[in-house]
Amino acid sequence: MKLAYYPGCSLKGTSFEYEVSLLKILGVLNIEIKEIPDWNCCGASAAHSINHNLSIALPARNLAIAENGGYESVLAPCAACSNRLKSADYELKTDDILKKKITDSLEMSYNAEMSINNMLEFLTGVIGKDKIKSMVKKPLAGLKVASYYGCLLVRPPKIMQFDDPENPVTMDELVALTGAEPVDYSFKTECCGAINSLSKPDVVMALTGNILYDIKKHGADLVVVACPLCHSNLDVRQREIERKYDEKIGLPVLFITELLGLSFGIDPNDLAIDGHMVAADRVLKKIGENK
Amino acid sequence: MKTVINEQNRRNFVSEVESMLHDKLAKCYQCGKCSAGCPVNFEMDYTPNQIIKMTELGMEDTVLNSKTIWLCVSCNTCSTRCPKGFEVTEIMDVLREIAEKKGIVSKVEKEVQMFHEVFLDNVKSNGRIFELELVGKYKLKTRHLFRDMFLAPKMLEKGKLKMHGEKISGLNQIAKIFKDFE
Repeated sequence: MKLAYYPGCSLKGTSFEYEVSLLKILGVLNIEIKEIPDWNCCGASAAHSINHNLSIALPARNLAIAENGGYESVLAPCAACSNRLKSADYELKTDDILKKKITDSLEMSYNAEMSINNMLEFLTGVIGKDKIKSMVKKPLAGLKVASYYGCLLVRPPKIMQFDDPENPVTMDELVALTGAEPVDYSFKTECCGAINSLSKPDVVMALTGNILYDIKKHGADLVVVACPLCHSNLDVRQREIERKYDEKIGLPVLFITELLGLSFGIDPNDLAIDGHMVAADRVLKKIGENK
Repeated sequence: MKTVINEQNRRNFVSEVESMLHDKLAKCYQCGKCSAGCPVNFEMDYTPNQIIKMTELGMEDTVLNSKTIWLCVSCNTCSTRCPKGFEVTEIMDVLREIAEKKGIVSKVEKEVQMFHEVFLDNVKSNGRIFELELVGKYKLKTRHLFRDMFLAPKMLEKGKLKMHGEKISGLNQIAKIFKDFE
């Protein structure tokens, strides 16, 4: 099966750790993906917030390039990108008038026959849990890990068609495969404030603070995510949240691909774990990685 | 305050919203579940269910100038939980889009609106987001030059801030998309 890869803007910038670790583990798993040639930004929350048609047309260009290139499946590791690609695909399937307008504008055909996967769907559906389990060379026993899903992987369920929108478990199952212990807590799918990080930082810190303090209260050593925006709010803003609420958090936030990579026995430096704002030294020490 | 709404104007507004929404406002029976689960309800001037009812009543100026429509982060919790399957999240998109088209600048939440605009400008000129340029232009526009600047040195040290952006080669196609749909 030909697998297309849509990195999106964050993975080429502030969340480069996600791409580095993702490509590393796919290499180990012997899975070949090809970046969609000349891909463009999906428009993210900005497009759908103020211009609906633009929010369908921008992702549609990427989908049409992939489909016309003979790809059967698209991996979009960023939760927001996968959400926008799936939303565009859904509308193009259900709104013939808009579809015609968009394909005419792009001067490209689109039949909506590819499967579009977020990172967790790709890992469990395309690669498979058995194959992942067989690669675990260094079980992360003793490590308590909280999986934070956020909004866009699971909502809206009508379009995402992935896991339970109120109590998703896919990432927890992947955590369990690594030998680590999944931690249950209350804020798995509560919003981190997402795109308003720059425009409403106080609101974002309140929401993200609720999530981080709840995870802390439930005894986790670290958090795993599958979304660059969630990562940015939970990791980059963490020190500021500690200062604002005058209470230490100290929770490293890793991408799920990094946690899997560690369990595969990959060197933390090759997974770009030192790229995070909250150092993961204590966690690495706990699993016997001397840094 | 007494608000008098012309029935014809009310109908026009309702039909504009409903045609963009592909849903009926009357579906909502005001149970308030959307507002109970909304993560940003504490900052809003009107709760999501109030926005739906006010739209149905034709209170166009009030909803288009509300803080609520710009504070909504589209987390989709409301739509997911709505017992009537009403597109609560989508109505916020629709109202923002109408406000944007009418040139209404949010008085209190103009920074959220500006962020979306600067973001799309960045997509239009590069095809992709160049984060440093996006943040710089947003800061100039909002004049919050120093907010969050303390994060920059460490982000730079960690390799999170790229100094150069990339332009895609199909920029003419992006320009056409914007021309056709903006």
